[in-house]
Amino acid sequence: MNDQANFTTRSIQVAFLAIMAGVWYGLTKTGAVTPLFLPPMDIVYATFMRLVQTGQFWSAVRVTLFTIAQAWIIAVVAGLLVAYLVTRSRHWTAVMEPLIASTFAIPLTLLFPVFILFFGIGPASKVAYAATYGFFPVALITIAGLNSVDERYLRAAKSMGASSFDTFRHVLFPAAFPVILTGLRVSFFISFASVLGGETLSSAAGVGKAISLAAELMEPARMYAWIVFVIITAVSLNFIVSAIENRRREY
Amino acid sequence: MSESTPFRAAAAGRPVAISIRNVSQRFGDAGSPNEVVAVDDMSLDVRRGEFVCLLGPSGCGKSTLLNIVGGLFPATDGVVMVGDKPVKGPLPRDISFVFQESTLFPWYTIRENFDVAFKFQNVAKSEWASRTKQALEAVNMGAFIDHYPNQLSVGMRQRVNLARGIALGTDIILMDEPFAALDEQTRMVLGEDLSELLAKTGKTIVFVTHSLAEAVFLSDRIFVMTARPGRIKSIIEVDEPHPRSPDFMLTPKFSELRNQAYALLRDEVRQAIALAREAEAAHA
Amino acid sequence: MTVAAARVPAASTPSFIGGMSRRAKVIWTRRLVLLGLVVAFEIYARFIGNPRLFSPPSAIVYALFDEILVDPRIRGAIYQAFTEVLVAYVMAIIIGLVVGLSVGWSNFGRRSFYPIVILLYAIPQVILLPLFVLTFGIGPACKIAFGVSHGIFPIIVNVVAGMRNVNALYLRSASSMGASNFDLARHVYFPHMVPSLFAGLRLGMTLTLLGVILAELYVSTGGIGYWTKLYAETFDPAPLFALIAVLAVMAILLNELVRIAERRFTRWRN
Ligand SMILES: Nc1ncnc2c1ncn2[C@@H]1O[C@H](COP(=O)(O)OP(=O)(O)OP(=O)(O)O)[C@@H](O)[C@H]1O
Ligand SMILES: [Mg+2]
Repeated sequence: MNDQANFTTRSIQVAFLAIMAGVWYGLTKTGAVTPLFLPPMDIVYATFMRLVQTGQFWSAVRVTLFTIAQAWIIAVVAGLLVAYLVTRSRHWTAVMEPLIASTFAIPLTLLFPVFILFFGIGPASKVAYAATYGFFPVALITIAGLNSVDERYLRAAKSMGASSFDTFRHVLFPAAFPVILTGLRVSFFISFASVLGGETLSSAAGVGKAISLAAELMEPARMYAWIVFVIITAVSLNFIVSAIENRRREY
Repeated sequence: MSESTPFRAAAAGRPVAISIRNVSQRFGDAGSPNEVVAVDDMSLDVRRGEFVCLLGPSGCGKSTLLNIVGGLFPATDGVVMVGDKPVKGPLPRDISFVFQESTLFPWYTIRENFDVAFKFQNVAKSEWASRTKQALEAVNMGAFIDHYPNQLSVGMRQRVNLARGIALGTDIILMDEPFAALDEQTRMVLGEDLSELLAKTGKTIVFVTHSLAEAVFLSDRIFVMTARPGRIKSIIEVDEPHPRSPDFMLTPKFSELRNQAYALLRDEVRQAIALAREAEAAHA
Repeated sequence: MTVAAARVPAASTPSFIGGMSRRAKVIWTRRLVLLGLVVAFEIYARFIGNPRLFSPPSAIVYALFDEILVDPRIRGAIYQAFTEVLVAYVMAIIIGLVVGLSVGWSNFGRRSFYPIVILLYAIPQVILLPLFVLTFGIGPACKIAFGVSHGIFPIIVNVVAGMRNVNALYLRSASSMGASNFDLARHVYFPHMVPSLFAGLRLGMTLTLLGVILAELYVSTGGIGYWTKLYAETFDPAPLFALIAVLAVMAILLNELVRIAERRFTRWRN
């Protein structure tokens, strides 16, 4: 049943992508749009194949991946730590949770110029920017997860003499674990988008920079090659992650 | 069927308010494995000012019959007449419903809930306030007019729901297990209120319940239904004037009627459970 | 996000410890935390931090009134960003409602549409920013379009979600009282949808702001982006922070506006 629903979902998604590709093909072949805005598919493909053979491509990908990894790790560690500390007491949860939540509702992109000021246009500013963005979902979702653990388990653990840390290790953490995983996933995709965004805005290297550079140099084929590459990567990552999540849910 | 049953109740000589003639209801395609005959060729009359109860095992088609009478969906076969009109759709001027769960809209205050009901029913705006007030006071809920339903207890909510059904001012009220979610005490009190109301206003009420005591306490006539497909198995008459006092429940007559209803129902409930088991086995 | 509203434990149970209700205590602690952050920043920036990077809050406030708010060019840039956000948000609401309602109307629409939205959600929209500039130019149109493309998704998704699971008993009860189809839409479907709709509007506002600001920063030849770039490159932190603070306050106010509307329309939930 679940498998079938999943299969339907995937089929619709693949069909949608196929239609989009068809539209792209139709628009360029009939000359409805100028190649300056949307070059034909085969040219983009050829450009991409040439791109892959240059060292440029892999070095940009490597920079971006490395930046994402660093940002995400920092976001996760900081987010979990803050969530742990804040949920030690109901009072501090009530104080901090709304504060963190409303900060997350402000476009943190506003801080990007500050990070450029602090760290320059190298990868460090992107790490800081994406880690900042990625921190919030981990912290907020973990706080929510830890808070929604059934009070009775906690009372039971306490009645058996568990220390505060014992309770966290054996009750709170395992009970909230599935929710925490959701936080990690959300944080990963936000870090991913933030790094690309930061690189697009202002950077010396990376995939985002490659896209904005191609646009600046009026090389649409190259720009589209990169864009399609990122889209395919993002969609595949999403498929993989949700497949893993579905597998987990079955147990 | 009721034509041939002589009954002594006070309502006997009065005109017929609801006439149900050969009504059947099937769900699902005829002949297909998931075809369900919910109601099978039912005929009965309800007289004006009468309080009638439908009693029967779960799934025997009580709600279905009530919805058909109220015009919420058409019967597969047969006709229902209200007064001299055949029922073809909702008749908000003639019939109001009180459902088993509270159907007060949670997004409106009590006052607003009454207001939209009047609006749906096309009642003149000048009457809204006084009718709301009067109905709420009848169930002692006047103080809560500006509360949201979620701010009231389940019992209070159902009182208000009852008041709304009354405020609509129709001669006929159809009630589908209105007290099912209430505790025993509240149920009793509301039952008394209802009996008093009946005596005062002469409304015609068709009431679905699973509680034997409630059925005997409130009804002029109890229609005991068979397991699915629903038919009328037997009619019990309760010859006791309204309003009825709680003392009625202590009389031998009450116990006797209750036992009679229980005896009739017991076999049907067994059969309903057997039916459910069968259906389950067929599925597996 | 939805998490924000998920839980504020104990805040609502008044218990009088130390002469203060628990709720008041929470609010005062929160104010103290914020004040502490500002004081710490002030001390750090004044005595420890590199003045080319850090600016104490007092100097930021000074720069706000001495540089940012008095310069008509900067004021114009702020005003323009504000207008872009408003226009983009209104457009996002209209498009989001129209698309959401038409998709949510039928089971078929919901089932075939959700996978596509999920798919589109997975794409980091920001990589399309250069494409938006190519298509719409560097003027307000581009920023509005980018804001709309960010804002519509949460609105569509939540409208569709809100149209599900209307209690059939409400519908039946209303029709028994003579409600017309329009009455049903107005008094049952719409109120039922409101909480979910507002969740979408809230997130939609956040994302519209994100989209517009991203585009503003990307186009650094004018508007906000020009000034932030200038201050960052000339190591002039005070006006940079001041400008950011103005925009942050704008974002907070807009978010708060949506929240007030939400509270007004969903009072019945508590
Ligand atoms: N819309 C429907 N589609 C298919 N079957 C239905 C539908 N409505 C009711 N039924 C079936 O008709 C039968 C009678 O249902 P109904 O709700 O009238 O029973 P009931 O006597 O009110 O039961 P209960 O006492 O549990 O409320 C049941 O078997 C039910 O499954
Ligand atoms: Mg029923």
